[in-house]
Amino acid sequence: MSSPNRSFATPKFVSTLEFRMLGLAVVLAVILSFVSPHFFTERNLFNILDQSVVLGIVAVGMTLVILTGGIDLSVGSVAGLTGIVLALMLKEFPIPVAILIAVSCGALIGLFSGVLIAVFGLAPFVVTLGVMAMGRSLSYIVSGQRSISGLPMGLQDIVYTTVLGIPTNVIFLLALYVATWAWLTYSKGGRTIYAVGSNIEAARAAGLNTLFYSIFPYVASGALAATAMTFSLAQIMSADPIGGNQLELDAIAAVVIGGASLYGGRGSIFGTLMGVLIMVMIRNGLNLLGVSPFWQGTAIGAIIILALLAERLITWKSRRL
Amino acid sequence: MPGTAQPMPDSTTPEPLLVAKDVTRIFGSAYALKDATITLRRHEICGLLGANGAGKSTLSRIICGHLPPSSGEILFKGAPLAIGSARDALRSGIALVAQETSLAPDMSVLENIFLPSYAMPGRLSFGQLRQKAQEILSELGHDHVLPLDMEVRRLSAAQRQLVEIAKALALNAELVIFDEPTASLSPTEVDRLFDIMTRLKDSGKALAFVSHRLEEVFAITDRVTILREGKTVAESLPTMDLTQADIIRHMVGRDIGNVYRKAPVTEAANERPVALEVTGLSAPPAVRDVSFSVRRGEILGLGGLVGAGRSESAEAIFGLRHRSGGRVAIGGKELPANSPIAAIRAGLGMVAEDRRAQNIVPDMNVGENLFLAQLGKHKGFGRGQSARRKQADELVARLGLPADRMDASLLHFSGGMQQKVIIARWLLVEPEVLILDEPTKGVDIGTRQAIYELLREVADRGIAVVIISSDFEELLGVCERVVVISDGYTIADLPASRLSEESLTLLAAPRSSAERNLAFLRDLVATHGGSAFWGLIDGDQFVSLAVAEGKGEAKLGLEAGHVYPLQETPIPNALGQRQAGAIHEEDGRSTLLARLSNRRGHELGWVGLSMPSGKKLPDPEALTARMASLFETTRDEEIDA
Repeated sequence: MSSPNRSFATPKFVSTLEFRMLGLAVVLAVILSFVSPHFFTERNLFNILDQSVVLGIVAVGMTLVILTGGIDLSVGSVAGLTGIVLALMLKEFPIPVAILIAVSCGALIGLFSGVLIAVFGLAPFVVTLGVMAMGRSLSYIVSGQRSISGLPMGLQDIVYTTVLGIPTNVIFLLALYVATWAWLTYSKGGRTIYAVGSNIEAARAAGLNTLFYSIFPYVASGALAATAMTFSLAQIMSADPIGGNQLELDAIAAVVIGGASLYGGRGSIFGTLMGVLIMVMIRNGLNLLGVSPFWQGTAIGAIIILALLAERLITWKSRRL
Repeated sequence: MPGTAQPMPDSTTPEPLLVAKDVTRIFGSAYALKDATITLRRHEICGLLGANGAGKSTLSRIICGHLPPSSGEILFKGAPLAIGSARDALRSGIALVAQETSLAPDMSVLENIFLPSYAMPGRLSFGQLRQKAQEILSELGHDHVLPLDMEVRRLSAAQRQLVEIAKALALNAELVIFDEPTASLSPTEVDRLFDIMTRLKDSGKALAFVSHRLEEVFAITDRVTILREGKTVAESLPTMDLTQADIIRHMVGRDIGNVYRKAPVTEAANERPVALEVTGLSAPPAVRDVSFSVRRGEILGLGGLVGAGRSESAEAIFGLRHRSGGRVAIGGKELPANSPIAAIRAGLGMVAEDRRAQNIVPDMNVGENLFLAQLGKHKGFGRGQSARRKQADELVARLGLPADRMDASLLHFSGGMQQKVIIARWLLVEPEVLILDEPTKGVDIGTRQAIYELLREVADRGIAVVIISSDFEELLGVCERVVVISDGYTIADLPASRLSEESLTLLAAPRSSAERNLAFLRDLVATHGGSAFWGLIDGDQFVSLAVAEGKGEAKLGLEAGHVYPLQETPIPNALGQRQAGAIHEEDGRSTLLARLSNRRGHELGWVGLSMPSGKKLPDPEALTARMASLFETTRDEEIDA
């Protein structure tokens, strides 16, 4: 062979779809900066990144789950429940210990879903729907139907400390995406996640640990939901039993806008980041324009559907082959 | 078996029912068909042949309205046919019996047969439909074999096909295209399908038969049309005038020498260490008692009918299927059950049967698919590609894989190329034993030859190769030894040189017939005493299939599932003469032989009754008469037209 391609078994860094979504994000930003003078300001851009943190972290877990062909409807209520747990633990333990307990709680709930799905073969939709209902109900019970405030001031440090002028929560978000990208692309585990979603039979026959990597994404998703809620609490400084409500829908939307297939095997973490930014930008822009929150749902829904429709129309020919 | 096809009841060639002229179909920028032409006539079966990717399926799908042509003309009954959809084609009387059946698995046989009428206006009367279905099935000669109320998911592949055919007939189809209908049928089922096709032909329908298997083309077609790279290179040639070599020449555009290359048989072969040993394997319900072993550098075939438990045995050995009993050892070390990863690390590789469902990861590119087993085998955090990079480059070059398209989707390649990548996936991890389940299914003949050569080469390097195949010609051509599995049991273990396709078919025959024959033998010895046997005489060898010994008598010395040179059997004279009637051996033993044959006169072997000296044989007539009764039931089942 004349010139062996050194990287012939590595997926492309950025797929064409991600480029299109990046394009969409840029176009959106340009439009928004024309219609609102407040949009393209340093302050607002940081705002957007700041607002992306919670959704962005949850969407990483959701991406892993969706890549295996599953879905996690419970992230919103797991975030709510672990937020309450965190608030209560903060009253008893030092901050790092409390966070560790809350994140472990999220991971355990994910393990519960993952085992039911991978070991017992229950449908991910149904299992996580059940966990979603239980999580929300438990967060009301544990909190005594009240929001919990009076959290230690030190908690704010994880949001308001800055490194080189960038807040730590944004740094955490970007580091999480880079680490997840590297793991998904270059590690045995990451490739197994793709193989499981694409063809679990073939993955098993090739000796991959399909059982572990069918469960792991749910654990990660639960833990990340708790992590996201930690950042949220640090900003709001109170935990509400309704916290994280409908977060799962935003996360699924972001992942799907980012080009992942709900059947599994296809998608990328940077696509998800684009999806998150698009979602947050739309919401931010609509707020700046003073659009009523009641109309925002319609606008966001329409934009999601239009983006996917455009994507489908562009790739129609290649799909038909 | 050429020559079974009947010539036309000729003098006037019938008017063509359908003529497709200069049909072209473009996908993207690639031509799938370029000026393809085919003519189909009533009372005729036309074979549509070509290597993989030659455009057979595309042409079939265009004729049946599943795909619109890019250009070209289709005349049906002399008038231009404007087909916009599959429904239009069905209304005009054109039906497709597809390779992958298009049935609704949760609906009953009856509903499936009349599914297209759900799309027609008007009320349905289930009583009438039921009656009509019975008529159609009895026309096919299968009215009592196919329960109308059974759900289609519970039917065998052959039965589903029957439903497809009935569905075509329910629409009064005049032209039926069979797209690789025999791909998943056993030889007996193929015979039955051919009976049905002959009936349809005799009733004046035009049939097209798409197949890879040349023997079948000779057995059933009247004419053949051959495609190569989307073009018709031979049109409506009478099958009678062709040889296999002619057809292959047209298909590939060059001569193909002997497809198979055998290793020279050496004495040393039996000295080599055993690489894989399977004892008493069971994984019910499909696998009951399977034992065999394969030596390093040997190519072993696992023969048998579809559904006999071969694939299931392989899966149980590899750990993909739950193993409930038995022992599997690689290089003498026992393998734990239910763990593919342990099997891979112990040196076992397996190319599973269903390429799309069990081997290909569709969302990964060619390169990643190539490295998949390495990903599973290696231990560590990373992907472990760098360790095998050199081997991968060598394999890519050796197999002629497209080195510059490693980042393309594997699905864009032909079946043959996909199979090469999957085989390379396993060679990359340097296994000691490689099991391949139907490695040439849906692979064109050119690539097939390359795969056979590759496997030979792999074996020569000392890897033990196990091939599962329903193509007995392939099995005998490639393998040095064949183990036959029937109904979940290993029933024979023979060198390929001592087998023929016929004897292999017979050995592989379902257990029920073997049991029936054994019962017959037992019955014989019970009434007459002595020893009874059933077997094949092949050249100077005797293949023993079943043996029954009378009570309290000296054993004859033949065992079921073994092959003996005639001179080494206790009855060389009898077997050597192959005549009905009593024949005496030198030691005074006398043997009565009778020929066993099916309704087509196909030899199914010999049944014999042997008596030690001094005992009297029964009347030969009586034996023949009893044998005839053995086959009576079969005759009833298969009604001749």
